[in-house]
Amino acid sequence: MAIYLWLQTKLILMEYAIMRTVTQKSYLSRIVKTLNYIQTNLDHELTLEELAKEANFSPFHFHRIFSGMLGESVKELVRRLKLERAAIELQTTSMSILQISINAGYESDMAFSRVFKSKVGILPSEFRRTEHARFPCSSKACIRYVTSGHISSFEPLQIKECKMNVMIKDINTMKVAYVSHQGPYQECGHAWDKLCSSLATEGLLGGDAKMLGVSYDDPDVIPAEDLRYDACITVPNDFQVIDDIKVQTISGGQYAVTTHIGSYNNLSDTYRKFFGQWLPQSDYESDDKPCFEVYLNDPESTEPEDLVTDIYMPIINVSQQSPAVKENSND
Amino acid sequence: MTKIDLFKLNKSDYIAAKSPVLIDIKEAIYLVINGKGAPGKEAFNDAVSALYAMAYTIKMTRKKQNKGDYVICKLEARYWSESALPLNQIAQEQWKWQLMIRTPEHVENTDIDQAAQALLSKGKTASVGNVSLGKHHFGPCIQMLHIGAFEEETRTIDQMYTFAATQKLSPSGEHCEIYISDPRRVPPERLKTILRSPITPT
Repeated sequence: MAIYLWLQTKLILMEYAIMRTVTQKSYLSRIVKTLNYIQTNLDHELTLEELAKEANFSPFHFHRIFSGMLGESVKELVRRLKLERAAIELQTTSMSILQISINAGYESDMAFSRVFKSKVGILPSEFRRTEHARFPCSSKACIRYVTSGHISSFEPLQIKECKMNVMIKDINTMKVAYVSHQGPYQECGHAWDKLCSSLATEGLLGGDAKMLGVSYDDPDVIPAEDLRYDACITVPNDFQVIDDIKVQTISGGQYAVTTHIGSYNNLSDTYRKFFGQWLPQSDYESDDKPCFEVYLNDPESTEPEDLVTDIYMPIINVSQQSPAVKENSND
Repeated sequence: MTKIDLFKLNKSDYIAAKSPVLIDIKEAIYLVINGKGAPGKEAFNDAVSALYAMAYTIKMTRKKQNKGDYVICKLEARYWSESALPLNQIAQEQWKWQLMIRTPEHVENTDIDQAAQALLSKGKTASVGNVSLGKHHFGPCIQMLHIGAFEEETRTIDQMYTFAATQKLSPSGEHCEIYISDPRRVPPERLKTILRSPITPT
């Protein structure tokens, strides 16, 4: 009997491990597919929607998964691949340096030369003359421009270092009062002031009221002035709209939750690790809705290094047949 | 308009030294709530929640009324009991406490009443009605930073009392604590708490 149970447990665990490898492979192959799409379309403006569709990830989370696994954003990758292509063109074609500069996305050969020198150490003209000169590989994931036109694999960032404490939580749908902010995340204070002062007079602060932030954009890829953010406070269901405070619901369901300790300015490091490393190794897929943050202390009276923020990532189980094991940490 | 931060403006009152220091704290205004029961248990947590709800409601309401802005100070607590025995020899359920948040002088009783009414109308804890505005004068005190679990405070307190004795001083009055870290989040071994004890010459 004992042996039977042991075997059964072992089998479940094996199944679990196999599934996990399958998930990870799926993330890898989807990113590889996107990489090839990017390389093929280096000269076209790529939209978030088309990239996310190519990789079959939610547009809400595509950028974070991508840069988290690769160590560079799409924009940085495109800029780098173009430079690598330019290096190849310098050595294998007789195209003018100005033309190569324009192909690489620069307005002038001077701007191109300056950037090129900062990466390679020598000017494009010298590079062209030096047969053995090579463009150095600066990609953490070892992705290079390939002339054959097909990238077959890459090395995702440091997976063994991923020791994040992650809880899987089922949460109820929450009604929140909110004020939107557009601009650098650091400047969202005015939205909070407006929201808190309107709710305070109504007696809606304190008790169970939670303070949530919904950030719709990844600050690594979106210009600071375009970042969209909602400052939200949970309110009772019978909440009546006051002043020009708006109301929305944060949809319930399964969320992966990790805690960020420290300055809000470093939140994106935790996001990158959460999406780029924890997620691909988990048995989950990010769901097609935004993440949110729950702030657990007061930034006015707390030293930045002591700030505590829970990050909620909406998830769905990759496979319905997955064993009902709830993981608390991923190591 | 500048934001008043009493914690920083009165830095000398909140010295968090690794060895005992003598300080003298002037009269100040606090939002207070009194109660009885073990710290971290139901009655205590309810009082903490009521005090913070009031503190933020008052602050943000005044801000909306253009009456100035200020930072909510750290939570302070004074502990005592009806017995003559030292607190650590008494069951925590018997502990009495006053929870305090230092507050700017311009906050008025009408602010308190308004805030309590607003919160009660939204069904927040009835304890908000027990929060009041009070003056307190600590006077001469001995103070020291304790790092670690609350249960291990004795070692820090012993050090404070030993130091007091060498200065020909003795503790008088309620033991006070100022919570620098958030006990819900910070692991016990990293908790920072300022311990404070009023003193008189022996």
